[in-house]
Amino acid sequence: MEELLGINGLKTYYFTRDGVIRAVDNVSFMMNKGEILGLVGESGSGKSSLGLSIIRLVPSPGRIVGGKIFFQGVDLLKLPEKELRRIRGRRIGMIFQDPLTSLDPLRRIGDQMVETISVHMSIEKRDAKEMALRALERVGITADRFDDYPHQLSGGMRQRVMIAMATILNPDLLIADEPTTALDVIVQSRIMDLLADLKKNMGMAILLITHDLALVIERSDRVAVMYAGELCEISPSEKVSQDPLHPYTQLLLESIPDIERPRKELRYISGSPPDMRNPPSGCRFWPRCPKALDVCRKISPRQLELDGRLVRCHLYNGGR
Amino acid sequence: MTSLKVFIIARLLLLIPTILLLVSLVFFIMRVMPGDPVIAIVGMKAPPERVLELKKALGLIDEAGNPIPLPIQYFNYLASLFQGDLGRSLIWGKRPVLVEIMEHLPATIELAISGFLVSIILGVFLGAIGGWRGGKANSAVKIYSAVTYALFIPWVGMLFQLIFAVWLKVLPVGGRITPGLEPPTITGLYLLDSLLTSRWDSFASALKHIILPSITLGLVISGVFSRVTRTSVEEVMHQDFVVAARARGIPEHKLIIHVLRNAFIPIMTMMGLQLALLMTGAILTETTFSWPGMGTFLFERIEYRDYTTVQGTVVFFAIIVSVVNMLVDVLYAYIDPRIRY
Amino acid sequence: MYTFRPILVKLVPRARLSTLGLVGVGLVVFTIFLAIFAPLLTPYDPTKSVGPSFQPPCWEHPLGTNKIGQDMWSRIVYGARTMLLVVLISTVVSILIGVPLGLISGYIGGLLDRVLSMVMDAIYAFPSLILAIAIAAAMGPGIINTAIAIAIVYVPTYFRMVRGQTLSIKEQLYVEAARAIGTGHLSILTKYIFPNVISIIAVVFTLSVADVVLTEAALSFFGLSVPAPTPDWGFDLRAGHPYLLSGYWWLVTFPGLMIMILAVGFTFIGESAAEYLQSREVRI
Repeated sequence: MEELLGINGLKTYYFTRDGVIRAVDNVSFMMNKGEILGLVGESGSGKSSLGLSIIRLVPSPGRIVGGKIFFQGVDLLKLPEKELRRIRGRRIGMIFQDPLTSLDPLRRIGDQMVETISVHMSIEKRDAKEMALRALERVGITADRFDDYPHQLSGGMRQRVMIAMATILNPDLLIADEPTTALDVIVQSRIMDLLADLKKNMGMAILLITHDLALVIERSDRVAVMYAGELCEISPSEKVSQDPLHPYTQLLLESIPDIERPRKELRYISGSPPDMRNPPSGCRFWPRCPKALDVCRKISPRQLELDGRLVRCHLYNGGR
Repeated sequence: MTSLKVFIIARLLLLIPTILLLVSLVFFIMRVMPGDPVIAIVGMKAPPERVLELKKALGLIDEAGNPIPLPIQYFNYLASLFQGDLGRSLIWGKRPVLVEIMEHLPATIELAISGFLVSIILGVFLGAIGGWRGGKANSAVKIYSAVTYALFIPWVGMLFQLIFAVWLKVLPVGGRITPGLEPPTITGLYLLDSLLTSRWDSFASALKHIILPSITLGLVISGVFSRVTRTSVEEVMHQDFVVAARARGIPEHKLIIHVLRNAFIPIMTMMGLQLALLMTGAILTETTFSWPGMGTFLFERIEYRDYTTVQGTVVFFAIIVSVVNMLVDVLYAYIDPRIRY
Repeated sequence: MYTFRPILVKLVPRARLSTLGLVGVGLVVFTIFLAIFAPLLTPYDPTKSVGPSFQPPCWEHPLGTNKIGQDMWSRIVYGARTMLLVVLISTVVSILIGVPLGLISGYIGGLLDRVLSMVMDAIYAFPSLILAIAIAAAMGPGIINTAIAIAIVYVPTYFRMVRGQTLSIKEQLYVEAARAIGTGHLSILTKYIFPNVISIIAVVFTLSVADVVLTEAALSFFGLSVPAPTPDWGFDLRAGHPYLLSGYWWLVTFPGLMIMILAVGFTFIGESAAEYLQSREVRI
C-alpha cells in the first residue's frame, strides 16, 4: 500500500486571551492510498483541528506551530499559499458538519459547483456545467435541482451536494469532518454508503472524523482514537472492537449501547475532558483512567508500534 | 392576504397615533414650556396693539381678544394640521410655512443625497477592509468609526473651508452655486437639472459648491456605516461557508465578493435608520456652508424668533421622520420574511 | 441572590481598559482639569475685553483674541466649565426622570407601561437635535434651561434600558420566591431590581454622553444655549465663523478642537466599555 499522507509531530495551538489551548499536540500517523481512516474523539479532543490543519484552514486564534504534513511527498506546511490553493479542492477535498451553513445561502448550488470547477480548470462554462451535473447525478441529485438554493434542499441532499462539490475533481483524499452528525440515522447510513461507493469508484482515501466509534468501526479500515490533543491508538477496525489496546478505547467501546447485550444502565466514562489550557501532566488521560499507574502521572507515554498497530500508553511499555 | 400586506397595514395604522403623538409633543413644547414667547419676540416695551396682533397670530386669543382655552387651542392646532396648514410666518407677511419649506427643501435633499452617497462609499469601503483584514486594519477602522462619530460637523466644515477656500483657494467657501448660473428648475436639484438641460457651466459651479459640504456630511455619517460594515463582514467571514469555499480552493478575491453580498443585508437596513442622523447633520452642514436649505431656513427663523415657522418646521420634520421610518420598516420586512411575524 | 458584590463587580470591572479607553479617560480628565483649575490657568476674565481685537496667538494670548478682544485661551478653559456643567446637569436630570419612570413602568406594567412606552418611543424617534432645538427655543437661554432641554431628549434612552432590565429581572426566579414569602413591592424594587439597574445606567451614560456634548455644542452654535458673555465653545465657533475669510483661523480652530476632544474622549470610553462587556459575554 502506498503512503498518501504522512503527519509528523503536528502541533496546532490556539492562542486565546485566557491561555494557550494545545488542541493538537505532537500527533503523528499516516494514511494509505484508498483507505478509510476513522478519527474518533470527544468534542475538544482536537480531531477537527487536526482535519483543518491538513489543509491549513485553522481559524484564528489558532496556528500550526510545528510538525510536517507530507502529502504525496510534499510538505504541505511549507507550500506557498498559491500552490496550496491548487491542492485544496483538487487533490484534497473537505466536507463539513453542517451542510446548511457550509453553502453560500445566497447562491444557487449549481453556480457554486461551476465556480469550484472553473477555479481549478480552464474549461468552457458549458463543459463545467456538464461536469457539475454529472457529479450531482453521481451523488443522487437530479438535474432539476441544479438551480436550487441551499435552503430549498433537505439536510441529506445538502450534504450530498457538499460531497459532490468536494469530490468533483477526483481528489485523492477526502477529509470528512463529522459529515453525518447533523443528520438522522437513516440518512446517515445512506451518506456513508455514498462515501463508500465514491471510494470504490474513485480510489479516494477518506479521513472520517467523528465522535461515533460504532460508526467508524463499521465503516472504516483503520481506527485512530484521539484524546485531549493526543493520539491514543491506531488499529485496524476489526482488531479495535475485539482487542482494544488503550484504556480510553476500551471505555469508549463499553459505553456503546449494544442491542444484543442489553444492560441495566448505560456505562459512561467518569470525569470530564481536561481544560485544554492546562492539561494534566504526563499522560493526559490518567485522571479518568481505571488502569493508571504511577508513571502515568509524571511522564507522557511515547508512541509504540505493536504488530502493525500504534498505541500510546505506559501499559505497553514493558516496564520502562 | 399575504403576511407582507398585513404587516404594511398594521404599520400604517401605527403611523397615525405616532404622528399624533409627535405633533402633540411639539404643541406641548411650544405652548406649555415656561417663558412667554410674546415677550421674547417683541420685548417688554411693545405697544399693546402689537401684542394683541401677535397673540392672535399665535392662536392664543381669538378675533374678539378673548383668550382661547388650551384644549381649544390644541384642537385648532390639530384641525389646521389636518388640512395641511403648518401655520404662517410671523415675519415674512404671513407666508404659509409649508410653502416656504417647499422652497428650501430641494437644496437640503440634494445635500442629503450627496452626503449620504459619500458616507456609504467611504464607510462601506473602509468597513469592508477592516472586517476582511482583521488585526491592525480592524482596529484602525474601529478608531475611525469612533472618531468620526464624535466629530462636530460645523468644526469639520470650517476646517475644510479654512484649508480649501481660504488658504488654498481652490473651492468656494459656501453657497450653492455662483449667482446667475442657476439651471432652469425641473427637479430643484441643481446638479440634476443642469445635466438634464446640458448647462455645463451650471453643473461645474454646482459641483464645486457641493464638494466640501457633502464630504463634511459624508465623513461624519460614514462612521456609522463603517462600524456596521465592519462587524457584519467580520461575522460573515467566520461563517462556515467561507471556510468550506476556501477548502475548495476558491481564491480570496472571489471570496470577498460572496462575503460582501452576504454581509450587505444588515448594512442596508442600517442605511434606512440613518435618516435622523442625516437630517441633523444636514442642518449643521447647511448653516456652516451657507447652503440655502432647510437647516439655514430653520436657523434663520430661530434667530428672528419666528415661532410659528419654527413650530411648523419641527412638525414637518416629525411627520417626515415617522413616514420614512415606516417605509424603512416595510422595506425591511420585504427583504427579511421573518420580520413580518 | 444579588447582593452588593455583584454590583461592585459590574460597576468597577477589573477592567483591563483597552488603550482606547485609557486615551478616552485621559482626554476627559484633561478637560475636567481645565474646568476645575481655570482661574489658575489664566489671569484673564473670559467675559471681558482684555486685549486688542483679532490678535493671532502670541505670548500674552496663547490662543489669540476674538473680535471683542476676549482672550481665547480663557474662553476655552472657562468654556470647559460651561460645557461640563450642562453635561452634568442634563445627565442628572435625565437619570432622575428616566430611571424611576423606567422602574415603575417595567415593574407595574399594564396600561401605565404601555402609555409611557408609547410616549417615550415617540420622543426617542425624534431626531435628537431637532427636538432639543424646539425645546430650547421655547425655554429660552441659560445653563439650566439648556440642560433641561437636553435632558428631556435623553430621558427615553434611560427609560428604555432601565425598563428592559427591570422586566427581565422581574421574571427571575428569585424575585418570584421573594414575592412568595411576602416581600413588599418597594422592598423588591429597592433590594433586588435597583442594584442591578445601576450597571445599566452606567452603560447608557457612557454610550450617550458623547451625544450630549455634541448636542450642547450644536445648541450653542444655534445661539440657543447660554447668553452672550458666558464662555461656551459652540458659541465661540459660531462667533468666529464669519471671520474665516479674513484668515483668523484661531477663532474657530480651538473651540472646535475642544469639543472634539471631549466628545472623542467620551466616545472612546464608551467603545472600550462596550467591547469589554461583549468580551465578557462570549465564552469559548
